[in-house]
Amino acid sequence: GVEELVLLEKLLGLPKGSKYGVQGERKVPVLQTNNGPGLTGIMTIAAYLVKQAKKEQLLGSTAEEKAVVQQWLEYRVTQVDGSSSKEDTRVILKDLNTHLEDKVYLAGNIFTLADILMYYGLHHVMVDLTVQEKEKYLNVSRWFNHIQHYPGVRQHLSNVVFIKNRLYTNAH
Amino acid sequence: MGFGDLKSAAGLRVLNDFLADRSYIEGYVPSQADIAVFEAVSAPPPADLCHALRWYNHIKSYEKQKASLPGIKKALGKYGPADVEDTTGAGTDSKDDDDIDLFGSDDEEESEEAKKLREERLAQYESKKSKKPAVVAKSSILLDVKPWDDETDMAKLEECVRSIQADGLVWGSSKLVPVGYGIKKLQIQCVVEDDKVGTDMLEERITAFEDYVQSMDVAAFNKI
Repeated sequence: GVEELVLLEKLLGLPKGSKYGVQGERKVPVLQTNNGPGLTGIMTIAAYLVKQAKKEQLLGSTAEEKAVVQQWLEYRVTQVDGSSSKEDTRVILKDLNTHLEDKVYLAGNIFTLADILMYYGLHHVMVDLTVQEKEKYLNVSRWFNHIQHYPGVRQHLSNVVFIKNRLYTNAH
Repeated sequence: MGFGDLKSAAGLRVLNDFLADRSYIEGYVPSQADIAVFEAVSAPPPADLCHALRWYNHIKSYEKQKASLPGIKKALGKYGPADVEDTTGAGTDSKDDDDIDLFGSDDEEESEEAKKLREERLAQYESKKSKKPAVVAKSSILLDVKPWDDETDMAKLEECVRSIQADGLVWGSSKLVPVGYGIKKLQIQCVVEDDKVGTDMLEERITAFEDYVQSMDVAAFNKI
């Protein structure tokens, strides 16, 4: 929620001091802007911050890339944030693992806001995975390890360890 | 190091395996290492080698910037998994200009054999250096073993506990701690290898000494 937006601001090199609040039972983040009503919702605020920082390439360049970025931002807010059970998590990891089989980043070859917010959204899940589960969702692990090493992303979040020598299986 | 012959199916399989949990040949950004390997792979890997194909398509997207990627291109044998034999050795690369010449001098001509031997030795040394000793997960456990009453022979109780032997279990120091009413519990340290010994097993075997032991608890558990 608000914490990851603060991390995002730092990653984007924006000055500190924005005023955040929360709204409603589900604690949806709200950003106070100077002129006009506040902005509500992670996706909305995040996209606004990216534009403030003049780093629009993080939203994708081509029409298709932009759509894919939006797709995964939507997935993050509707599926990942809404998930509570182990079964929900399993489905998400399976989806992501399939999608990432032939891609380095969520949008393909470029690093985007989708990777950043998915990383923040999944951190608490990845931290608790067993060695066996990390190997099972090999592509997600590879992607997560890559993103957490991307300059400026991880900040104070804990480093999730992925061991190099695979223990369980060589078959994929 | 190296991948073997990258123009062969076997070499591509090594590359595929290597890239299963990596986005790049070295580190977390595209570099000359990726370009060096990319150029050795003559065509897109087949679809069943999905990790190699993913990497290939990704590096291809950097084609225009390849000269400006960080790092220095090294001989192919310097990249890849540590336990694969470097078969690129002498001969296939034209001059190995960028290898650091540790032993030879500039003007003397080295025979082919001597050069091959030196490179083999260097490769072996490097692969030996990069192999780390296996790390065994261990824990230090402090156990509380409680007797039935104040008349229980604590020396015998301790003997029974220490008689429990297992692979991956080492007993440490112990002391008797009074718990009230004249009863003392045995507090004893042990170090276990996590894969081999667990607290369940310890509990089973300790409480098996029914004549002496009323119960056992884990007072402290620390990973080493």
